[in-house]
Amino acid sequence: MKAIGKGSIASILATILHLVRIVLFAAFAGLSIALSVMGLAAAIAPFVSEGARIAAEVLIDPEDLLNVASHFVTFGVLLYVVNRLLEVLKTLRFETPFTPENPSRFRRIGIALLIGEAAQVAFWLVGEAFDAGIDDGIDLLTLVAVAAVFVLAEVFSEGASMKAEQDLTV
Amino acid sequence: MGIAVKLDRMLLERGMSLTELSERVGVTIANLSILKTGKAKAIRFSTLEAICRELDCQPGDLLGFSED
Repeated sequence: MKAIGKGSIASILATILHLVRIVLFAAFAGLSIALSVMGLAAAIAPFVSEGARIAAEVLIDPEDLLNVASHFVTFGVLLYVVNRLLEVLKTLRFETPFTPENPSRFRRIGIALLIGEAAQVAFWLVGEAFDAGIDDGIDLLTLVAVAAVFVLAEVFSEGASMKAEQDLTV
Repeated sequence: MGIAVKLDRMLLERGMSLTELSERVGVTIANLSILKTGKAKAIRFSTLEAICRELDCQPGDLLGFSED
C-alpha cells in the first residue's frame, strides 16, 4: 500500500480522522450546551420559585455534572489531538513530514493527553468525595501512549534537523 | 564564520556566470546560490569535483577557514 497519494494509508487515515472530527465536534458542542445549561441552572436555582428550583436541582445532580464535565474534557482533548494529527497528516500528504512544526505538534498531543489524564484523575477524586461513581482515572495505557508520543516527537525533531541539513547540502 | 566559500571570487576570475556554472556542473542555480552565499551546511565530493573541474581550480581555492 502506498504511503502517500490517492488511496494511500495517509489519505485513508485523513478521511477517517475528518469523519471522527465531525463526530467529536458534535459531541463536544452537545456537552458544552449541557454544561452551560447545568451551570445556568445552578446559578439561578437560589433565585427562582420553589417549582422552578426543583426543576433546576434535577439538572444539577453532582454525579451528572461530574460525568458531563469529565466527558467534556475528554472530548475536548480528543478533538485537539485529532486536529493536530490532521495537521501532521497534511504535511505528510502535501510536503514532507519532517518539518520543524511537527515535533511540537506531537509534543502538544502528548501534553494534551497528559492534561486529559490529569483531569480524569481529578474528576475521579472529586467523584469519590461525592460518591458519584466516576471511573478510575489512572489509565496506564494512556500513560504509555503519552510516552510513545513524546518519543515520536523526538524522532521527528531529529528527522527535521536531518532534513534541514540535507536541504542545505549542495 | 568557520568555512568560507570563495565561489564568487573564482567565478569572477574565470569570467563565468553562476548560470553557466550551473549548466556545466549539473547543479541547480538555487543550490549554487546556497553555496555562494555561505548558507550551505555541507558539500558533496561529487559537487566539489565538478566545480573544480569546470573552474580549473583546487578545493582549497574554493574553500577557506577563518576563526571568527
